Amino acid sequence: MNKRTFKQLIVGTLLLSLALSVIAGCASKPDASSDTGSKSIASDIGTDPMWKYPETVKVTQVIGHGKAEDPKTPSDITPATNAYYQKLKEMLNIEVEYLWMVPSDQYEQKFSLAVASGDLPDLMTIGFEQYEKFKDEDQLEDLSEAYEKYASPDLKAYVEADGGKTLDMFREDGKLLALPSFEDPFMSAQIMWLRKDWLEKLNLEVPKTLEDLEKVAEAFTTQDPDGNGKADTYGLALHKDLISWGFDARGFFYTMGAYPKAWIKDKDGNLVAGETKPETKAALERLNQWYSKGLLDKEFAFKDMDKVVEDIVAGKVGIAFGEWWYPGWPLNMNRDQDPNADWVAAVLPSFNGKEGETLVPSQRMSRIYVVRKGYEHPEAVIKMANFYTEMQKKEYAEDVKAENGYVYNWYDPRVYNPYDFEQAFTEVNAALDNKQEEIDSVNPTSVQAFKSSKKYLSGEGDNSDWGIYMRSIAKDGGWGITRTLRDKAYVVDEFYGTATETMTEKKTSLNKMTDELFTKIIMGSTPSSEFDKYVESWKKLGGQDITDEVNEWYKNK
Amino acid sequence: MSNTAQTQPATVVKPRSSKRVSTFPLHLMLIPGVIVTLIYAYGPMFGLVMAFQKYVPTKGFLGSKWVGFKNFEYIFHMPDFYQVLWNTLIIAVLKIIFGLLVPLILALLLQEVAKNWIVRTIQTSVFLPYFLSWTILAGVIFEIFSLNGPVNSLIASMGSDPIMFMGDKNWFRGILIGSDVWKGMGYNMILYLAAIIGINPNLYEAAEIDGAGRWKQVIHITLPGIAPIIVLLATLSLGSVLNAGFEQILLLYNPLVYESADVIDTLVYRMGLIDQQFSPAAAFGLFKSVVSVVLVSISYYMAYRFTNYRIF
Amino acid sequence: MHIKPSPSRVVFNIINGILLTIVTLLGVIPFIHLLAVSLSSNSAAVAGQVSLWPVEFTWDAYIYLSQKVEFFRSLWVSVQRVFIGTILSMLLVILTAYPLSRETTVFKQRTAYVWFFVITMFFGGGLIPTYMVIRSTGLLDTIWALVIPGALNVWNMVMLLNFFRNTPKDLDEAALMDGAGHLSLLFRIYLPISLPAIATILLFTIIGHWNAWFDGILYMNSPDNYPLQTYLSTLISTSNRESISVDELASMASYGEKTLRTAQIFMGALPIMAVYPFLQQYFVKGITVGSVKG
Repeated sequence: MNKRTFKQLIVGTLLLSLALSVIAGCASKPDASSDTGSKSIASDIGTDPMWKYPETVKVTQVIGHGKAEDPKTPSDITPATNAYYQKLKEMLNIEVEYLWMVPSDQYEQKFSLAVASGDLPDLMTIGFEQYEKFKDEDQLEDLSEAYEKYASPDLKAYVEADGGKTLDMFREDGKLLALPSFEDPFMSAQIMWLRKDWLEKLNLEVPKTLEDLEKVAEAFTTQDPDGNGKADTYGLALHKDLISWGFDARGFFYTMGAYPKAWIKDKDGNLVAGETKPETKAALERLNQWYSKGLLDKEFAFKDMDKVVEDIVAGKVGIAFGEWWYPGWPLNMNRDQDPNADWVAAVLPSFNGKEGETLVPSQRMSRIYVVRKGYEHPEAVIKMANFYTEMQKKEYAEDVKAENGYVYNWYDPRVYNPYDFEQAFTEVNAALDNKQEEIDSVNPTSVQAFKSSKKYLSGEGDNSDWGIYMRSIAKDGGWGITRTLRDKAYVVDEFYGTATETMTEKKTSLNKMTDELFTKIIMGSTPSSEFDKYVESWKKLGGQDITDEVNEWYKNK
Repeated sequence: MSNTAQTQPATVVKPRSSKRVSTFPLHLMLIPGVIVTLIYAYGPMFGLVMAFQKYVPTKGFLGSKWVGFKNFEYIFHMPDFYQVLWNTLIIAVLKIIFGLLVPLILALLLQEVAKNWIVRTIQTSVFLPYFLSWTILAGVIFEIFSLNGPVNSLIASMGSDPIMFMGDKNWFRGILIGSDVWKGMGYNMILYLAAIIGINPNLYEAAEIDGAGRWKQVIHITLPGIAPIIVLLATLSLGSVLNAGFEQILLLYNPLVYESADVIDTLVYRMGLIDQQFSPAAAFGLFKSVVSVVLVSISYYMAYRFTNYRIF
Repeated sequence: MHIKPSPSRVVFNIINGILLTIVTLLGVIPFIHLLAVSLSSNSAAVAGQVSLWPVEFTWDAYIYLSQKVEFFRSLWVSVQRVFIGTILSMLLVILTAYPLSRETTVFKQRTAYVWFFVITMFFGGGLIPTYMVIRSTGLLDTIWALVIPGALNVWNMVMLLNFFRNTPKDLDEAALMDGAGHLSLLFRIYLPISLPAIATILLFTIIGHWNAWFDGILYMNSPDNYPLQTYLSTLISTSNRESISVDELASMASYGEKTLRTAQIFMGALPIMAVYPFLQQYFVKGITVGSVKG
């Protein structure tokens, strides 16, 4: 072989690899570019919500998942063998294929890789920031025709339960780019949960003020409420995500009139970011005092939610701020471990003579479903949502059970009646007050809650019946307390638009800065005086721009 | 690359003689390696164009807009940039220094042990962590340094307050460096020991006759004897001053210690795979590669100058 | 050199002994501790009462582990990976190292080839482009994604190349006189005399494959295909996730798992800890045969 052929070899192979990498960059976006306008859906597709396709339609999805929520689920069920999808295939001839399934904490990077390489699934569940990015990059399929024509009346009723306000957020130039699933905003309201048996044992009242709460927390820490002779309990449940979803510090902040990571109205009617306000600083200082007194877990900053749930279940902690649903999970598991354990719900304590006012979001968005641009069957996705709504009806109740491999939290898209818990509360309580044996309701939540309440009240229910009763039905239970908050003073998180331009770009790093500083102040590794410096740099690093954009939005909304 | 091939005029392949074997089989043997390298090492390099684009996945590399050095400007103006650069340098440099010194001291101490089986045992134990993955070691480190782990029990028994090693920005760097030295010290120790064994024993005997003590022998014979390998290892590690240990840090760090432990690799990872800032992440990665290549070239040149060592 | 030790020498020996003992223990104690924790009751482990001996001894964690499908499934993936990956790597490394060990006088293009390979040690396309190439070549979610892209380890290749080069050239001459071709030269002469170097590279390759974890996270589409170390990393990582979804929250129903976690980490380390003392001499020999670490 002489040098010329050698050179040819090198050049040839380089070209080959160039070609390959170009393919790598392009191959994955089949019709996105060629597809200019919205093409209309084939007219031979039946508009009946449960119309079955004559030929199998495939929908690809991805999932980052944990365990099935219901412990009765057979252990060999995976997202791919979820009975919902088998039923879906059977009834509508829609086949779901998972491009990948990973543990939930790997989801983010897996999804980024998919986005980077243009390897998007047909149906995606995303957040606001991702939605903005996809919208700007024109990656989303128009769902308006699919929704108008194919959504079942039930589904439409749920999606437009707020008069279409949420749905309109996802309309762009006459196109509908997402199918949102939202819930009653009061489901995010904060209350607190306390170990009732511990309170009784130590002769303590349910605290009404923050000072009382502090005393209770101290007693739970130092007076051995579980009576095992070891100093192994602490006061307030907390974990590294201070402002997140459950067992976090939101309730504590709200008690002290601080609303971090929320947009609240100041006295001039402008929106300000709660994390930059002096009340937040005061709350952080107070948390720092609690921390140094040992009322918080010393290592909360390393523990994620499952660790703190572990502590609750194991009976290590007696107070948790949070939402109404705790009895259904994980407080019921605490009772499984310790039959004496009992919990009581209470409204946020008062501070400086002022009632604690919870924050209520303008919108409680649970999931945003979008379809990849160029996917041929956007209506199939809507039909999948129809199907889920259908499956919740009474006639399927015998079949659709965790024992039979139905795992609802692995099924997407699912849209709920945003007000079904409120409906269940009124219906079931009315039925119970009338001493009815059967409940006559079309709301599956009511039917299930009624069954469990009956069982629990007759004394033969198990802890999951207790959980459902305490969560949804009991007047002094989770929802029972939470619904009373509507009639009290509360603060609204005024911003509910999709992410603004600077938010998309900077919010992650700003939040990171916020989380870092807050955690450090609580743990005492940074003095609270750093807070003012933080506010300055928050503004400088994009916070001010975001505030301007948010106010701009607010004026024009 | 092709220059080297052109240094000689083209020659027609000579008919095979008994002494001259055709090089064709040699090219043939290289084909599998060349293909794998082309596809999986050179192929991705085309992705570097991302660093000069505002990369939009749907548009691909050909359709995305070219922005010149904008992404580089962006990263140089990032508020974390200098902190991260500094973290990278300080962690990597300390790892290199201690990674060279500690094994050296160990080797010298081990040299003074007469019994062979003791040397073997120590060597086995010291070398062990080198073979375990960072996954395993991170698990061990978390366990040992947790608030109710053995180290803190020990501290508590001495009457001090427990220390949150994994969440304290000052301690955490120490743990990164310490655990890296711990993992790697067996390797360099063995290199040193081999070099020590290679020293002519007559030198020691001569020194002993001259009345030099053990200490003097170490200073005047052992150390000069292994100086070349020390210099060699030191220069070669110059190339890795921007490698502070991606896997190790990724497994061990948390937001509490970003300030002191976030390094280029972890930041690039988060920018690319968490925040989806593909282009700036690629620009940062490219910046690092270029600096590394310069450093590596310098170090290999120096290694060649000082110790006459050539890697190929 | 057996002269009666001086008093200062005795003192030195004692201090030296203590120091070296500590260092030795540093290598082993963490793993003994891990073992002790995994054999203790979970409550004792969580309370931090365990040091080097199990407290409230129990096999529970291991019994539970023996039923844990995920662990054994990923163990099997690791075994496959090590097996396939090592064979492939060794083949490529040997086939590549040999031609490049020929002198420029014999093999003119040698230097160009060497540069071609060596450049890849310092320059890479980065994570995302690499992912794209692996995806477009269809390796994603297969065991090949873990073994092919890194099959030609340039460091190992250079090590072997140098070893080949240092073998006496008169062997070549003799063989070529006999009319032997390159292949038989490589396999009949070079490989047999390079066994120490080959053994070392083999062991490093095996260990490398056994220990790799990050590629598993990137390239596998389901935990079913995670190798053991990737699976273990998901157990211990303090995950930097930003937000927690409803579903995630619902799924976090596991508790009392500290001993199980340590048991799995210990089992992940065990194969290497068990085999390594016997193979150590090969490593030592290989490292000192004139190669420098990569």
